[in-house]
Amino acid sequence: MFVLPPPPRYPIGGYPGIPGQLIETNNSISHPTGPEYQLVVGEGTYVLRDDLHLATPPPHPSEAPVHNPNPLATTISPPTRGTNLSIVALAPRQPSQSQLYRFGTRNSTRSQVPPSIQESPHETNSQASDVGSQSVNGIATSPLDGLRTPVYGEGNAALAMINGKDSKDPLKRRKPKSNIIKSNSSFVSRVIPHEALTKRLQEHNPNGLYAFANINRALQWLDLTSPIKEEHLTKILFTKGHALCHDINQITKGPNHLDIIMGFSTGDIIWYEPMSQKYSRINKNGVINGTAVSDIQWLPNSENLFLAAHMDGSLVVYDKEKEDAVFVAEEHSPTTEEATSDAEKKALLTVKKSVNSKNQKANPVSYWQVSSSKVNAFEFSPDRRHLAVVSEDGSFRIIDFLKEKLLHHYMSYYGGMLCVCWSPDGRYVVTGGQDDLVSIWSLEDSMLVARCQGHNSWVTAVQFDPWRCDERNYRIGSVGEDCRLLLWDFSVGMLHRPRAASVRQRGSITSANLKMQRTRTDSSVNRLRSSSNLTSGSLPDEEEVVHPVESRAHTAMLPPVLAKAIDEHPLCWLGFEEDCIITSCKNGHIRTWDRPKEGATNDDSSTFASASASHP
Amino acid sequence: MSSFFSRIKSNAAPASPAPGTAPVKKDPNAPEPTPLEKLLVNAGPLRSDGSDKFFGFENMHTPTNIHPTERLPIAFSYCNSIVQCLYYSAPFREQVINFPARSPPEALERPPSAPLPRLNTNLPNGQNSPLSPPGRTSISSPTRAPAKPATTPGAQNGLPGTKPEDNKDSPEYKKKQALAAGPVLQMDYENSKSYGMNESLFSSLKDIFEAMIAHRSRIGVVSPHKLLEILRRDNEMFRTPMHQDAHEFFNLLLNEVVENVDFYSKNRITEAESELNGQTITSGEVVPDQNSTASNKSNSGWVHELFEGTLTSETRCLTCENTSQRDEAFLDLSVDLEQHSSVTSCLRKFSEEEMLCERNKFHCDNCGGLQEAEKRMKIKRLPKILALHLKRFKYTEDLQRLQKLFHRVVYPFYLRLFNTTDDAEDPDRLYELYAVVVHIGGGPYHGHYVSIIKTQDRGWLLFDDEMVEPVDKAYVRNFFGGENVLACAYVLFYQETTEEAMMKEQEAEGLAAAQQATQLNQDLVTVTTPKANGAANGHAHHAFHQPRTPTVEEEDQFASLNHAATAPPLAHVPTNTEHHPIEHVSTHIPVLGSKKSNLGLFKKEGKEEKEAKAAAKELEKQAKQKRKDMEIQRRENYRKQEEDLRLALAASKASAEEDAKKRVGSGEKNGDNATPTESGAGEKDKQANGFGSVKGMGGLNRFRHTSMSLKGKPKFWGKDKHEESVEPASHGESEDADKDKDGSKEKNRFSLGRKKSTFKF
Repeated sequence: MFVLPPPPRYPIGGYPGIPGQLIETNNSISHPTGPEYQLVVGEGTYVLRDDLHLATPPPHPSEAPVHNPNPLATTISPPTRGTNLSIVALAPRQPSQSQLYRFGTRNSTRSQVPPSIQESPHETNSQASDVGSQSVNGIATSPLDGLRTPVYGEGNAALAMINGKDSKDPLKRRKPKSNIIKSNSSFVSRVIPHEALTKRLQEHNPNGLYAFANINRALQWLDLTSPIKEEHLTKILFTKGHALCHDINQITKGPNHLDIIMGFSTGDIIWYEPMSQKYSRINKNGVINGTAVSDIQWLPNSENLFLAAHMDGSLVVYDKEKEDAVFVAEEHSPTTEEATSDAEKKALLTVKKSVNSKNQKANPVSYWQVSSSKVNAFEFSPDRRHLAVVSEDGSFRIIDFLKEKLLHHYMSYYGGMLCVCWSPDGRYVVTGGQDDLVSIWSLEDSMLVARCQGHNSWVTAVQFDPWRCDERNYRIGSVGEDCRLLLWDFSVGMLHRPRAASVRQRGSITSANLKMQRTRTDSSVNRLRSSSNLTSGSLPDEEEVVHPVESRAHTAMLPPVLAKAIDEHPLCWLGFEEDCIITSCKNGHIRTWDRPKEGATNDDSSTFASASASHP
Repeated sequence: MSSFFSRIKSNAAPASPAPGTAPVKKDPNAPEPTPLEKLLVNAGPLRSDGSDKFFGFENMHTPTNIHPTERLPIAFSYCNSIVQCLYYSAPFREQVINFPARSPPEALERPPSAPLPRLNTNLPNGQNSPLSPPGRTSISSPTRAPAKPATTPGAQNGLPGTKPEDNKDSPEYKKKQALAAGPVLQMDYENSKSYGMNESLFSSLKDIFEAMIAHRSRIGVVSPHKLLEILRRDNEMFRTPMHQDAHEFFNLLLNEVVENVDFYSKNRITEAESELNGQTITSGEVVPDQNSTASNKSNSGWVHELFEGTLTSETRCLTCENTSQRDEAFLDLSVDLEQHSSVTSCLRKFSEEEMLCERNKFHCDNCGGLQEAEKRMKIKRLPKILALHLKRFKYTEDLQRLQKLFHRVVYPFYLRLFNTTDDAEDPDRLYELYAVVVHIGGGPYHGHYVSIIKTQDRGWLLFDDEMVEPVDKAYVRNFFGGENVLACAYVLFYQETTEEAMMKEQEAEGLAAAQQATQLNQDLVTVTTPKANGAANGHAHHAFHQPRTPTVEEEDQFASLNHAATAPPLAHVPTNTEHHPIEHVSTHIPVLGSKKSNLGLFKKEGKEEKEAKAAAKELEKQAKQKRKDMEIQRRENYRKQEEDLRLALAASKASAEEDAKKRVGSGEKNGDNATPTESGAGEKDKQANGFGSVKGMGGLNRFRHTSMSLKGKPKFWGKDKHEESVEPASHGESEDADKDKDGSKEKNRFSLGRKKSTFKF
């Protein structure tokens, strides 16, 4: 006989994206303990310090929660993103006496990267986010450095004028125009400063970490070293735009000044100075590019310029102080004759407006169409010459952004690429994506070095741990949709041989090196006449730009040294600090994991050696 | 074609065959064209391959002999969604149409068009009152239930008192409109005789495909009466309203198609032998010509070709270290789900090593007894179309029934398989997602199925019974599942593709997105390989010629312009590729079959270049040396690892032997590879527990392909029983325990089933 099953039980509660509560709530902090909150690795045990849960703001009143009961509703919801952090310490960086980095072995032109780029153990403000060029920017305060490293657009007089204007009064930072608290902009809904904001700012330890974290339509300014870190310093609620990405300028930071840029789901960009609560809006209503901003970063060594990746696959350089102007693609090479077109199409990078354009009165400063699909993330190389860009179509590009030229184009094994990070010495790039893999690419050999298999879902953030890297060994961390944190120890000698390694016919590494070097030399020599290079599109001795997908049989596989579920929600951000690992999830949990206690900072190399030795 | 068209009676002669060409006829009351109609404006001439037909499927509610209070929320959406997925697989559709032979359209009976409400597809019914069209009722088909049960569970969340179909944005309203607008193809006839076949699921499927392709409208609604009739007549499990599962239907349909096709082919061969001149049997009007008979022999295996892959199960006896291998064929893969995982990971888990111990011991031919063993299953031959069944319905012990898992499982648009054997051919084959069957609802007994399908050149469309709606590509990602997400992907269809096609498509998408760009920059197009570009170049309506390139109509001109602009550089592309520096050539060994052709060229070119560059050569030597050193180092490491592994294995072996000794004589009986069968039976019993009168149905279905053979359906039950009887007598006792094991064992069951089926074929 047939027993009717009980009536359907649909999951109760709201639909995703619609928070249950309608009132503003406070952040909460908890200190869970137990073995499930520990990460046991070779060098010791990481212990969860605390779990800071950011409150998800209720929807804006004007945006009454559209409760669409139809799970098949075809309305396209605007892009949103889990909590990401931008971290900064106000104290100036101390000169590094790195134990981990020895540069004597490298004599490529790249070694002109100042040693100070390597984070010293004291360098607490290395912002190890996926927008990780901050560690690079941070040291640019050294004047020597500024001489060595080329500055984007320095060949262009039209830009130089503006840059020069700034340098006249380097001590007094220019602030944005409008006050965000008194603003009646329809873009900003509400600003909630802490009652004792001034007091807390005064009490702030200059070595301590400030963090800016987005959650839903809110952006919170947090003091991570404060005893009451769950209480935000300032919370900004936007009307409907979600801040998807943000970055702090490490050059202009100071006790009274922080330059933050945020990219929004609406395409808008906000330049915000939290100390004075001033802001200004760029790309207002998407006048230059109407698609959401998926990643944003200050240009290396630049006080004013920043790069934003829009979801239509374009990379746009803006000046924080310039007005918007409706963007019309310029002839990217007005003087170029069509004869060079074959060289040009190899460039695979459409320069719609070059930094060398004479028209620099208004934003954008430059405008490149990099990909036909969404750019998911990018990062500047530690030597500040290159840009690694990953996009939704699975491509991974290395761009010489000074020359506005594409150097390499790789493909993921399959699926989109979601995150990218340079090794601290700039020799390797790691990417993570929808193939569940962390891929390690070597710049020198221009090839895929290894694929790291271990995630059970898409890899959303990947980072090098600069405190556990030396010239041969690299510690990589990655988090993914599988809620897990994985740590990888990578050193060239340790790689698992792929099945077909015996028949593998690798190209000459040396000649690849040579090429790389040549390009580098070119780039430094030709810096000043880079405009001519640009217009001709590429050098005559073109190296291979588009690289095919590497077969699985020919690729080394790397197993993780740690794999652990550390959250109940998919993770979306990962950062390494001197004393901790910080992770964040889509739901707004920021978890801080203390590094192993036993003298890890003093004894890094030896612990590391033992760690890697103990690894099978 | 025109003669064929003239055969169709129409009472409201449409101005144009294309539905969207003149969407608004100055009639102020004319409703807005639907998004689909807008999409199809200027669609050009009809194609004969059916790739430009976008028909919804009517969700019919059977005249029910079930208790009237009981609603039928699932109805037939499980069938509709799967048939749609199959229709939009271009090779499958083509094969269905062409098997046994492409019938001349005149020969086939057509849906009765006369009594249709209207045939002018340009003009959906002006009146908004959802009318039951005159004449529709006259059709002796099961008509819709007067009050249509909510086929979308979301409707249940709607405000009480307001009918969901009153809301113009509701799917209910749109479905009614689609039905009212028509044309409705009443598939209550059959042409099997004309095909020279018996009435079968295949013939009715073919009828539907033929009718859709032949109809001059691009949009409309199909009422698959016959298909359902046959389905329900022959398969008891689909007669109940309960537990109708899209995957089970898919499996059944594929197996039936295989069976029907094979049966037909066999008959033809025997006939051809008996009747020397190959004259036909059928009294039908259409006489498939002789050469079709010949061709049948060769192409009857097309279902296998498309969907079938091979799994290799390696079982290593832990006692004697003997490894036995067996190949098993599969038509789809059913993967277990984990919370917060990806399809990639589910597939990897599917192939993870698994211990056969305790009740699941393995009968080793070498040692001659039940032994502990390690078993793993990898894919040896990759199918052209990979159907992935996400096992969202899981039996829960405490509730004694199936429950839906809402786990969030992400799926990428492109996929390769990690779990291939070392000797697999083309192990890096690239797949693209082309269809997703979505289950909406809280449990397996309730809910609704829709499918989201990538069409050849119209992008992604949502097929929700009668309603067909274009959707954004990002929409496909709304069905990963998760807490509070009612709609989750249930079956994923991946089809074989190439990197070139992928690049081209991504580019087309980019172009579509960047349509506002005033400047058409040629650089955008040059990403594709010369081959791809060459194919695209010069086609004014390139979209029609590029398979699977979703180009929205409005952008067509842009796209073609763009390709035109690329024309000059095209010539240069090959030369560029020839200039690849040697080191890259050898660094990247193309493995994909499609690339192989280029390999030789690259290498040759590279050699020339090498000779030219003596200096480079020298450097290369140094590099080689360096590499050698590295290699040595690597090898050493590897050796070390291997040694470790060997030690570990030895240790585990020792312990395994100990275990084995302990277990000897414990009374567990297991035949050689009885394991999977047994667990399958366990599952079946479970199902029986859950269903009472539907005894064995869930499990039965799982065995459907197993027992599927040329022997016809009535033997179905017997077959199944037979299978049960094969099992060890101890089965009954161990059944309870097996239930616990079910989760981990399910993959065995599936692969086994599939394997048996192919052996029989």
